[in-house]
Amino acid sequence: MDAGTALPSLAAKTNDAAARRPFSLAARAALTTGLVLAAFLGAIGWTLSRTYSDSELNKLHARLHDYVITYIAGTDARRDGTPLMPDTPPDPMFSRPGSGLYAVVLGDGFHWESSSALGRDFSFLHPLQPGQSQFIGPVDTELGRLYYYSFGVALDVPDRPSVRLTFTVAQTEDELESNTAVYRRSLVGWLATLGVMLIVLQLLLLRWSLTPLRKVASDMSRVERGQSDHLDSQYPIELTGLTGRINAFIDSEREQRTRYRNTLADLAHSLKTPLAVIRSQVEASELPPAVRAPVLDQVRRMDELVAYQLARAATTGRQTFAAAAVPVAGHAEDLVQSLEKVYAAKNVLCEFDIEDGAAFYGEQGDLLELMGNLLENAFKWAGHHVLLVVKSQRQPGRPRAGLLLSVEDDGPGIEEDKVEKILQRGVRGDERVKGHGIGLSIVQDIVRAYHGELIVDRSPEFGGARFSVALPPT
Amino acid sequence: MRILLVEDEAPLRETLAARLKRDGFAVDTAQDGEEGMYLGREVPFDLAIIDLGLPKMSGMDLVKSLREAGQRYPILILTARGSWQDKVEGLKHGADDYLVKPFHVEELLARINALVRRASGWSKPVLACGPIKLDTTAQTVGVEGKPVDLTSYEYKVLEYLMLHAGELVSKADLTEHIYQQDFDRDSNVLEVFIGRLRRKLDPEGTLKPIETVRGRGYRFAIPRSEDE
Repeated sequence: MDAGTALPSLAAKTNDAAARRPFSLAARAALTTGLVLAAFLGAIGWTLSRTYSDSELNKLHARLHDYVITYIAGTDARRDGTPLMPDTPPDPMFSRPGSGLYAVVLGDGFHWESSSALGRDFSFLHPLQPGQSQFIGPVDTELGRLYYYSFGVALDVPDRPSVRLTFTVAQTEDELESNTAVYRRSLVGWLATLGVMLIVLQLLLLRWSLTPLRKVASDMSRVERGQSDHLDSQYPIELTGLTGRINAFIDSEREQRTRYRNTLADLAHSLKTPLAVIRSQVEASELPPAVRAPVLDQVRRMDELVAYQLARAATTGRQTFAAAAVPVAGHAEDLVQSLEKVYAAKNVLCEFDIEDGAAFYGEQGDLLELMGNLLENAFKWAGHHVLLVVKSQRQPGRPRAGLLLSVEDDGPGIEEDKVEKILQRGVRGDERVKGHGIGLSIVQDIVRAYHGELIVDRSPEFGGARFSVALPPT
Repeated sequence: MRILLVEDEAPLRETLAARLKRDGFAVDTAQDGEEGMYLGREVPFDLAIIDLGLPKMSGMDLVKSLREAGQRYPILILTARGSWQDKVEGLKHGADDYLVKPFHVEELLARINALVRRASGWSKPVLACGPIKLDTTAQTVGVEGKPVDLTSYEYKVLEYLMLHAGELVSKADLTEHIYQQDFDRDSNVLEVFIGRLRRKLDPEGTLKPIETVRGRGYRFAIPRSEDE
């Protein structure tokens, strides 16, 4: 019986549903394109850096080859067959000790090193046959990681056998590495910039291509809020099948409601008129009381059952697509004016305090039955005052606001221990508390159909009964 | 009191008409909206009972058209469905009260009395003019607290005169509102009723409640008591 207990449980249920919800389309698309983009850019980066280091290696090979050829060209032999090395190296680096560029010449009992290589251990080098060459690297030596190129030659000396020599030029890896590192850094920089630009572009494109879906969603919530009859924007061809179906569904829901209401009205008329005939005939007849009383009693029971069940059947409850947000103020005024006319002799003063824009999201008939029955009850029991208070109850994330509606009077009120009884009896169609008719049962049914709550207590202002209805936001 | 009853269900219409006549009302019946419209505009009724579910012209349209045609008498609507939508619409279009079918005839009679009384400006069920009190609920009349025994027609004549206390009521008005259509208007039965009423209400001839306005009709001469 506490409004606070039922509403949070509803909210909790929807939160659970949200936790199980799959990723949004935008997140999926962003994730997939992000991964593809990362893989693609990664592969490009790897290939480019691989190609670059291959070409650097080729350049190094060519350079070392050139140095070797230059050394060979500058080498001569004395008459005794001892090789005579050139005075000037092809590159000043060969003269600087520890420069990283070294030249070594090996022969039978002959060993020559460039100034840069003085005192260093080149024992890992082997002599080659004339005409043989090899490019090796990187090799771990005490000089660091090295690439070297060796070439075997036979030096012709007049009247003597030719002198076999192996020319080797070695270079430490440092230079090659630093070149590659610079290249890699700038490559990564450019690829990253490109990647960011592509991702931004991708997100913009995604946004643009999902716009129609967002439009459908916002149009749908306009329909739910009753601000629009249909999904009536222009949609792309892929969505028209869906939106057309939804519109057809909305139409058929409404048509069905109308047909149903008309059928119920016809049914009410064709059931109740015969009852009215029976009652008036029996009341006017000369039948003995032993026959009259039970017949009239059965007529009353049938009448109440028909009235209650028809009202129950007419209750729509929460709808997916409300025809429109039913403004409460206008209908409340109509009802109060009607009741003031009917209860003119009682001279009841009905005040209302209706929040601006308070709206009921459901069937107009349900609102009229709800307020009509509560107000009529109040007019019936009131001394001179009736107060109707209507407030909206908004909740973030719910497009349709809830409604708090209370009707109080200055009549005798309902004893606390009888409230439960009245409400419980009201639930059953065939057993009702005298004086509260079927009106309260209908009210309870409508409140239940809208997942709301009905509370009966004492009016703090007037001292009579107060009926409060809370319909939750949806 | 002349009543228009528009109801398409023949047994209900006939039983109700018979009951209303027995209670001293003059009743004209119609079985559809168009007939109701014709009668409603031609005859000066004191009240109309209109069923909402009528053939040819719906009860709602009939109420609306009667009001648009300038008819001011109270209208009570009968609705089978009893939905607030029907009630509110009916009352908005000019009806004054509603009853949901099936109703008790007693309830209908009580509503009719209250509506007729209210229409002539009486807010309480007991009409009081000086020492003469007429209880429209119990349908009894008393003079200075002593009950007076009246026949049903005498009661209806007195009720009509008291409802219009202070106003001139022509003989034609009285006959139209009290009797059925086939009543012979030239007879002097009305004068006989008035004579009997005067003797019963004022045997001493001191109060003189009913005044004869020569050649024009009657007037209930004792003014309404403010503290009725």
